Amino acid sequence: MEAPPVSVMPVTGGSINMMEYLLQGSVLDQALESLLHRLRGLCDNMEPETFTDHELVYLLKGQQGNPFILRARHSLSHLAAPWHLRYLGQPEVGDKSRHALVRNCLDVSASHSLPDVLNEMGFRMDHEFVANGHVFRRGALKVVVSKLSRVLVPGNTENTERLSLSYLVELSVLAPAGQDTVSEDMRSFAEQLKPLVHLEKIDPSKQRH
Amino acid sequence: MSGVPAVQVSIESSCEKQVQEVALDGTETYVPPLSMSQNLAKLAERIDFGQGSDSEGDEAPAEPRDRDWLKQEPEEEEGTVKFQPSLWPWDSVRNNLRSALTEMCVLYDVLSVVKVKRYMALDPVSQDPSAGKSPQVFQLMSKKKSLATAAQLLLKGAEKLNKSVAENLENRRQRDFNSELLRLRSQWKLRKVGDKILGDLSYRSAGSLFPHQGTFEVIKNTDIDLDKKIPEDYCPLDVQIPSDLEGSAYLKVSIQKQAPDIGDLGTVNLFRRQPKTKAGTQPWHVKLEAAQNVLLCKEIFAQLSREAVQIKSQIPHIVVKNQIISQPFPGLQLSISLCHSTGDKKPVKGSPERPRPDDHLYVLEHNLHQLMREFHKQRLSSVVMPHPASAPFGHKRMRLAGPQAYDKAEISSLQQTQGLLEKIIKQAKHIFLRSRTARTIDSLASHIEDPQIQAHWSNINDVYESSVKVLITSQGYEQICKSIQLQLNIGVEQIRVVHRDGRVVTLSHQEQELQDFLLSQMSQHQVHAVQQLAKVMGWHVLSFSNHVGLGPVESIGNASAITVASANGEYAISVRNGPESGCKVLVQFPRSQNKDQPKSEVVQDTKWTHLRGAYKEVHWSKMEGRNFVYKMELLMAALTPCP
Repeated sequence: MEAPPVSVMPVTGGSINMMEYLLQGSVLDQALESLLHRLRGLCDNMEPETFTDHELVYLLKGQQGNPFILRARHSLSHLAAPWHLRYLGQPEVGDKSRHALVRNCLDVSASHSLPDVLNEMGFRMDHEFVANGHVFRRGALKVVVSKLSRVLVPGNTENTERLSLSYLVELSVLAPAGQDTVSEDMRSFAEQLKPLVHLEKIDPSKQRH
Repeated sequence: MSGVPAVQVSIESSCEKQVQEVALDGTETYVPPLSMSQNLAKLAERIDFGQGSDSEGDEAPAEPRDRDWLKQEPEEEEGTVKFQPSLWPWDSVRNNLRSALTEMCVLYDVLSVVKVKRYMALDPVSQDPSAGKSPQVFQLMSKKKSLATAAQLLLKGAEKLNKSVAENLENRRQRDFNSELLRLRSQWKLRKVGDKILGDLSYRSAGSLFPHQGTFEVIKNTDIDLDKKIPEDYCPLDVQIPSDLEGSAYLKVSIQKQAPDIGDLGTVNLFRRQPKTKAGTQPWHVKLEAAQNVLLCKEIFAQLSREAVQIKSQIPHIVVKNQIISQPFPGLQLSISLCHSTGDKKPVKGSPERPRPDDHLYVLEHNLHQLMREFHKQRLSSVVMPHPASAPFGHKRMRLAGPQAYDKAEISSLQQTQGLLEKIIKQAKHIFLRSRTARTIDSLASHIEDPQIQAHWSNINDVYESSVKVLITSQGYEQICKSIQLQLNIGVEQIRVVHRDGRVVTLSHQEQELQDFLLSQMSQHQVHAVQQLAKVMGWHVLSFSNHVGLGPVESIGNASAITVASANGEYAISVRNGPESGCKVLVQFPRSQNKDQPKSEVVQDTKWTHLRGAYKEVHWSKMEGRNFVYKMELLMAALTPCP
């Protein structure tokens, strides 16, 4: 019996080759209320959405230098929602005039057996944390204001300790590769938040020490 | 003592100079010390000039004495004045002092003489009362003057107050720019860009995806002549809306018989009068609302035309200029058009069609608006928000598609397959089918009198489904003959009929099918009525058939027949009723009544004459009676002999 004709070319386009445009900033705890108020006015008119997520970062160490990082995240407030697996590539070294950080991004929904599968595949959990805060949207723009907490005992998400006295603000858009107008929109939106929070592109590779 | 820390003692020399003033920044201004000549002058003041200069050898050195001349003894006046011809610097001083002393002595003498009253007495001078003005008039004049000054001050103040109150009233009437801006901001989104105030009247923040920006500009209305009277509808604020949103627009949905020619498509230009604005609304509000309505109508029409072009259907939709034409049913045409008038043009005279009042399907127009808003809301619903927060936006059920391993059928059932146009066409089809059904039932009810047809429409309907209960009864016998009760469920393309006895028939959208069906049901009703009547009258049902296979073939439905026998068995009535052939009633008489039957030689017994024999047809049209069942009752009564 002949094998059915199957295309062996890799899948391109569609939702596979998405880039994430990212701008980050932070606010102190005291300024949170005014920032939320401002975001409610600027973003789409919806009920404010809070979230509590638990993220685990898995590393696969190969023979080469850079380990392969995967992020597995699930919601602690919506327990029936599926897990979310995310791969973030290296930030694109484009022209310096681009206002946002651009990197390749792959998002996959997974069932609740995700940690076991990753363990079996050879990934080892590097660190985990709990994030809770608010999510806003404006068209395709997503604004996440989150407070990160460290998990003291691995696996126990009840016992957490706040990492800092401030909230992390992230402005992100998922768009197919090649759309540069997105970063313009992001920059103009970030301008409107200017005195409260300064959103800028922070290169993660420069953070490592 | 060694453990106690040393106490610091500060020593400051006492101020040699006197402080005259301490400035605000702490600098001290000292009284400047006296110069040499000033110091000398000060000392010279203390010199006693009573002692002459040539007595400096004998007399004791001059003592500094106080200068209080009033306490001085009269001995001083005996002091001789020694005039020194030589000019020494203190000469003039001395002379002045001497003369002063003389004057003081004189004064002292006078006072002492007056006091003793031995040598001189003082008498007051009497005053002439008539000399000078009278004190009352003088007082009056002075009072008048002072009152006049006070009054003038008060008047000035009152004038100022009056002016300011009038100005306030003027301002409030003018409703100045800032308060209008505040009112505008409470209802519309505004932002400041540079030195311009821009606003947003689009539905983007409510979930729309239409690419129109929808920005309007707020302008200060400064062309007002303050000297002339301000007009009633003056507003210090004006808005400038984009040029393509000017005027007003609405969507017109109508169903017509298919036009024979498609020559004048896209010329829908009927326009109704502008609705009157409510008193008290600001002109800018009216303008902005109209512009927003135009924008929404444009969005709806753009969505509909996009779907009309993209979606494949059996009969393609036609999109011409501002009109979309589609065919819900053969021979029928649904047209959706966007009527936009900019307001400044005069209405086009001589439009080809007269505006018929029921041409507009207002319900569908309203539904179009509602569907669009629902689409907007759905884009903003919290179902779309991701949990966990790092996941992309999207419906939460679609996120489960991967982990739960949905197959293609499940995924397609999740996704919305129906667009706006399809929904509206379905709704239009249903509305049309419902109105046609109602028309059919009503026309039958008005034409046919004998079995009466009643329709009870249910109040609560769906956009895609309505229901009506149809009862076929005979007048006067409603309680007895109620076997035909039909429940019609009118859907989008079909009508489902549920009979009382449980049968379900599905009719298509053809009008004729429903009419034929109802006619056949009416004819069946007559026969059922005879059956029920027989029970009441005490007659026995010998045979009953809903669909007889004998006799002429009916083109609509089938004929039904019944045979009933009287209580004593002597008579029998046979009825055959068909929708087309009408009713035929035959009565079976006993043999004894048949006069022309030949006497048989085999059958001799008289008891056999009681059996029923030949049939005779009844001239039904000549029967007395209002309707079929009444006639039947009369017939039955006539054939039942009274004991």
